[in-house]
Amino acid sequence: MMARVLSRLAPLLACLGLLAIWQAGSLMLNTESFPTAIEAVRAVPSILGDRESVINILDSLRRMAIAFAAALLFAIPLGLMMGRSRLVASFFNPLLMITYPVPKAALMPIIMLWLGVGDLAKMLVIFLGVSLPVIYHSFQGAKAVEEKMLWSGAAMGLSAPQRMIRIVLPAALPEILTGCRTGLVLALITMVTSEMIARQSGAGNILFNALDMGQYDTVYAMIIIIGAMGIGLDAAFEKLRSRLVRWSEPGFDIPLSFA
Amino acid sequence: MIEIDHVSQIFRTSGRQAHLALSDISLTIEDGAFVSILGPSGCGKSTLLYIVGGFVSPTEGVARVKGRAITGPGPDRGPVFQEFALFPWKTVLGNVMYGPRQQGVKAAEADAQSRRLIEMVGLKGFENFYPKELSGGMKQRVALARTLAYHPAVLLMDEPFGALDAHTRTRLQNDLLNIWERDRKTVLFVTHSVDEAVFLSDKVVVMTRAPGRIKQIVDIELPRPRRRAELLLDPRYQKYVVEIERMIDDTSEDGLRP
Amino acid sequence: MNARALTSEVLLGIIPIALAVALWQAISSFGYAPVTLLPPPGLVFSRLAQQLGTSNFQHEIASTLFRLFAGFSIAVILGVGIGLAAATNPVVNAVVRPIVRVLAPLPKVALYPALLLLLGFGHESKITLVAADALFPILLSTYYGASMVEQKLIWSAMAAGTPRRQILFKVVLPAAVPSILTGCRIGLVISCIVVFLAEMISSTDGLGHMLVTAARTFQAVDMFVPLITISLLGLILNGLLQGLRSYLLRGFPEV
Ligand SMILES: Nc1ncnc2c1ncn2[C@@H]1O[C@H](COP(=O)(O)OP(=O)(O)O)[C@@H](O)[C@H]1O
Ligand SMILES: [Mg+2]
Repeated sequence: MMARVLSRLAPLLACLGLLAIWQAGSLMLNTESFPTAIEAVRAVPSILGDRESVINILDSLRRMAIAFAAALLFAIPLGLMMGRSRLVASFFNPLLMITYPVPKAALMPIIMLWLGVGDLAKMLVIFLGVSLPVIYHSFQGAKAVEEKMLWSGAAMGLSAPQRMIRIVLPAALPEILTGCRTGLVLALITMVTSEMIARQSGAGNILFNALDMGQYDTVYAMIIIIGAMGIGLDAAFEKLRSRLVRWSEPGFDIPLSFA
Repeated sequence: MIEIDHVSQIFRTSGRQAHLALSDISLTIEDGAFVSILGPSGCGKSTLLYIVGGFVSPTEGVARVKGRAITGPGPDRGPVFQEFALFPWKTVLGNVMYGPRQQGVKAAEADAQSRRLIEMVGLKGFENFYPKELSGGMKQRVALARTLAYHPAVLLMDEPFGALDAHTRTRLQNDLLNIWERDRKTVLFVTHSVDEAVFLSDKVVVMTRAPGRIKQIVDIELPRPRRRAELLLDPRYQKYVVEIERMIDDTSEDGLRP
Repeated sequence: MNARALTSEVLLGIIPIALAVALWQAISSFGYAPVTLLPPPGLVFSRLAQQLGTSNFQHEIASTLFRLFAGFSIAVILGVGIGLAAATNPVVNAVVRPIVRVLAPLPKVALYPALLLLLGFGHESKITLVAADALFPILLSTYYGASMVEQKLIWSAMAAGTPRRQILFKVVLPAAVPSILTGCRIGLVISCIVVFLAEMISSTDGLGHMLVTAARTFQAVDMFVPLITISLLGLILNGLLQGLRSYLLRGFPEV
């Protein structure tokens, strides 16, 4: 019982522990550019109380949500098709390989040349960033679907598109959702970076403007806010994921997130 | 001598329930004896073998080897698993050499010994193959050689031929008997095949359905060396097989009636 | 798979890349986009070839590679070490798990301002950011691989007389190598991405810095050059890692 409560609280304890380390570290270093955790946490309400900032942050989230959804709609079918057809896979694989190590947010300056600094450029960049891991994981998931399962489906009279939706999609779902989880964190990162580069609005803009103006409390408070968004979104997604794929073996309760 | 003394094993399942896998097992195995454990799947045969191997410690009771309580695995008891469990990152030779090297045998010496063993199990020429490049029967031969290489006094074999086709199985049974008749190791052999148990063993321990208890111990008094072709025609062999099969049918019905 | 099938697959894979380049060429040569927005591919690649010969450009690549390798190496050492420790020691596990759970989904770029303030604008802050981002995939796949090691491999080694404290290096680590290398591959891609971003945000040299400088002066050609370079670097490094992988995993069944 005790152990169970403890394991529920463990992430919270970890947060508190990390904040405590921060607090101790800043007291020890005692420089102006590294405020204590308490000072930074205190600055959070003043940002969230500011109408302009909140609108900015919500704008960021809206762009992220739209781009994320669009990316899923595009990436999951493509990945599944790649997983089930060698032809499709070998057609797209090299293209994906050369685009993978390119930082999508770095395309921002070029895309801004074409599309301007508006929402569209930022959403396009997030879309690109999310698509790759989702394609990759859907591809892996679909590839691992057992041939026999599809044969039984065909024997029961399912057509090829039906097999794709009724068999491949659910069988690959755990892997697809892992990709989505990675994509979610990636969306957040691309969002912050693209706003940092475009410097017009959004959470990333507030963060880096504060850095340039030397408002250190705001810098660290924004770090806390963006960090909390990442952790919160990830936790929410994990809840959804474990509900959707309850039949699958208990996987990892920590995300395989990256960049 | 192996003594299993009032051993019981309880597993906690994920639903926080207690599951009685073995119930009060007592069994003595003489040095040099070939003893088979026979029973329906899930009756705790593997668990019993793991306890003797020292991989699992019993919830109650003790198991002893040479009078000393078993506290962990040791090179005096060599396991051969149904899943082969070969090291995928080592070649056939590397796998077989692992034990002797671990025992401190010099590299050149271990190499020579291992090559002899590999030849003995009929895999000459495959020394530098990786496990993935071998068939199931060949992998099982490597697993046997790997265990024999560190000269355990006791062989613990968990359905070693269960995953093999009938033809390969027969060949490996003959090979195992030849090896055993030559160096008379103590063998504890888990199987669910009645034929196999009678063909190989001095003693067959028949277990009941879960929770596993010993239902009966049958002494197989058939002459050695045994030859399969002769044995199959031998009425005594046939009688043992039929007798034990009846016993197992009874235990299944025990299991059905609560 | 025979060689011919392999060749035809490679050819098939080149088609979309060739199409993309052709489309790019068409757009610029039929005048749909002015050269200032989309320079033709020939211009970009000849600029790249010309740049590759200059010591200036080589210097930029060298600083990017240095940061990338330093950060990636730190991530590999820490990730494999912590991952193995967490998989084999329950106390470490109890501490590491919740911390990783919190830190892994944290967008690390958001920490970059703090790193700049704490570690300065030099190599250290960028290397730390690269390491922080590449760490988690490596740590998690090490942990995953090490906790999935087949119990019977460990038992077989123990029965052969391997002492408990050697099991980690004789069985768990080699058995986890496939998974560790998968993590490293993801970590490497991330390192490429992150080092570039960090250099874009604040730097005086490196490929990312080149892009920002070019963007400020609207030199479209010079914006494409560093992007293509990082893509090629990623491709080469990935190829090297793939080579290492097929050497180390020669015994393992294909996955
Ligand atoms: N580690 C374990 N945890 C929980 N239950 C187990 C474990 N190992 C075995 N069991 C249970 O113990 C029983 C006996 O298992 P086992 O010894 O493998 O049977 P057998 O080898 O005869 O098929 C089975 O019901 C199995 O589910
Ligand atoms: Mg068993």
